[in-house]
Amino acid sequence: MGNITLEKVQKKFGETEVIPPLDLAIEDGEFVVFVGPSGCGKSTLLRLIAGLEDVSSGEIRIDGKPATDLPPAKRGLAMVFQSYALYPHMSVRKNIAFPLKMAGLNAEEQNKRVERAAAVLNLTDYLDRRPGQLSGGQRQRVAIGRSIVREPAAFLFDEPLSNLDAALRVGMRLEITELHERLKTTMIYVTHDQVEAMTMADKIVVLRAGHVEQVGSPLELYRNPRNLFVAGFIGSPKMNLMTGEHAARHDCTTIGVRPEHMRIVEEGGTFTGRIIVSEHLGSDTFFHVEIPGMDEPMTVRADGEIGLRHGDTIHLEPEARQIHRFDEKGLRLA
Amino acid sequence: MATQHSRAAARFMIAPSVIVLLLWMAVPLALTLYFSFLRYNLLMPGENPFVGWENYSYFLTDPAFQTAIVNTLILVLGVLFITVLGGIGLAVLLDQPMWGTGIVRIMVISPFFVMPTVSALVWKNMFMNPVNGLFAFLAGTFGMAPFDFLTQAPLASIVGIVSWQWLPFATLILLTAMQSLDSEQLEAAEMDGASAWSRFWYIKLPHLARAITVVVLIQTIFLLSIFAEILVTTNGGPGTASTNLTYLVYAESLLRFDVGTGSAGGVVAIILANIVAIFLMRMIGKNLDA
Ligand SMILES: Nc1ncnc2c1ncn2[C@@H]1O[C@H](COP(=O)(O)OP(=O)(O)OP(=O)(O)O)[C@@H](O)[C@H]1O
Ligand SMILES: [Mg+2]
Repeated sequence: MGNITLEKVQKKFGETEVIPPLDLAIEDGEFVVFVGPSGCGKSTLLRLIAGLEDVSSGEIRIDGKPATDLPPAKRGLAMVFQSYALYPHMSVRKNIAFPLKMAGLNAEEQNKRVERAAAVLNLTDYLDRRPGQLSGGQRQRVAIGRSIVREPAAFLFDEPLSNLDAALRVGMRLEITELHERLKTTMIYVTHDQVEAMTMADKIVVLRAGHVEQVGSPLELYRNPRNLFVAGFIGSPKMNLMTGEHAARHDCTTIGVRPEHMRIVEEGGTFTGRIIVSEHLGSDTFFHVEIPGMDEPMTVRADGEIGLRHGDTIHLEPEARQIHRFDEKGLRLA
Repeated sequence: MATQHSRAAARFMIAPSVIVLLLWMAVPLALTLYFSFLRYNLLMPGENPFVGWENYSYFLTDPAFQTAIVNTLILVLGVLFITVLGGIGLAVLLDQPMWGTGIVRIMVISPFFVMPTVSALVWKNMFMNPVNGLFAFLAGTFGMAPFDFLTQAPLASIVGIVSWQWLPFATLILLTAMQSLDSEQLEAAEMDGASAWSRFWYIKLPHLARAITVVVLIQTIFLLSIFAEILVTTNGGPGTASTNLTYLVYAESLLRFDVGTGSAGGVVAIILANIVAIFLMRMIGKNLDA
């Protein structure tokens, strides 16, 4: 059981309003990802839910029960910190057992649960080491272990993978997703990496300066970004945005076309330009194309085996059904 | 060539300070050792014959020696106990966000800047004096007889004075250590359901362990040789009730003018201090490795 509801939750630090009144509903068992640029208030929002910060006004409900004034320990949530926050002077076993010890469980029960968590997370061989003697990925797993033994109503993760190298990050991403599949517990996951958001989430919450810009499944956000900010934030490489006469032809202020929705044609085409950078990834090639009359180069995704190179002239035609239109306020037009 | 040349030059340049340092340390030590084997009393001029271990046996069998050892231990352990406990308490308090922390911190640290002789004098005359002292005045206002601290409880009074001097040092070191604790660890413990007391006991105190060993080590080195406070307040008395090893050596050689026995006492003190130092280094080494 772990549905979490925020009603008009607001947070001020002194006079600065970091989170303007905000509504959000998180269903039981959902994997929710908060994404947004640095400093937009993701951590603050998570800490409000955890109870590590007090809300300035508004109401938080966990499991339908008011939790606004509950201390962190009473909310039944577990958090994994960016720095892992392991207790350096305790062995892995004691770290994982700590919440159980605080809950007053007997030693036998503690041991049983620690062993079980260690087996789930492949930590059995490391139980008697100190955190300082573990690799980054192992520490991460200990931090997760410490949170799962309590069987919390929901897990909160604050950028848990940002200290890991790229390969390990992909591995841990899978492990966390798998853990969610197995436990079916609500998880709230903060990241600024939109790839993590797209791959892991059931539901993405896009934040900007404390505002919720859009809430939806990864594909909804990809297909129907509600405004220019979401359109630019979700998808990699970024969506190409064009104004002026190109947009006027579609009766709007701005049009957006994702790099993967630009077709390369032999001749003609809406846009013609020169390739200034080509990035070969093997499976795909990304061209950055300079187009006369446009400020920013346009990004195009092409097949990995395509024969075009730096300096070549290229003709482009956007797929008509994949053109996103936005009005002068940046909002999406149907 | 150039390097060899410059190395020679470097040796030549640092030679004066090295020589001075060697003389500074070695000569007094050698002389002390030498005197400790002589019958050498300033009140009896003339021959200073070599007497072997006589001075040592005289010093070690002196009943004052045992008292001095016990007193030294009480002094060191008592002050360590008070300053470490008090230091932890103050560090916890000063670590809380509150109004005027800056000023409070400076005030807490200020006793450390007062010279030992001065602070001992202030304590003796303004606080503990049975006639004019503040404590006597306070006792009087409650209708109680004034307590003559330095006569009735001389060692405890000195422990109090020295603790007052060293408490700021302990507080300062422990407070700095406390502030280096990662706040996310405390938050994690809070989420794990740890009460304020459990957070202190399981997170903060282990984090302070190293700092505590450092405080114990440094203070022990200085506390073994407390002298000024005793000289100013009790002169080691009444009797030998507040005489520690340092003061006993002083009494032998400078009050009884017995240089030989005083030197033997000095050598004994050096040996004891080194034994303590070795134990402490072991303990610290273990603690700092972890
Ligand atoms: N204790 C505080 N006092 C004042 N301002 C704060 C405090 N904590 C955070 N802020 C401000 O609140 C805003 C949001 O901070 P927050 O840490 O939630 O950002 P974030 O989205 O997690 O960023 P990042 O991705 O860099 O971690 C920032 O502008 C920050 O300066
Ligand atoms: Mg953050």
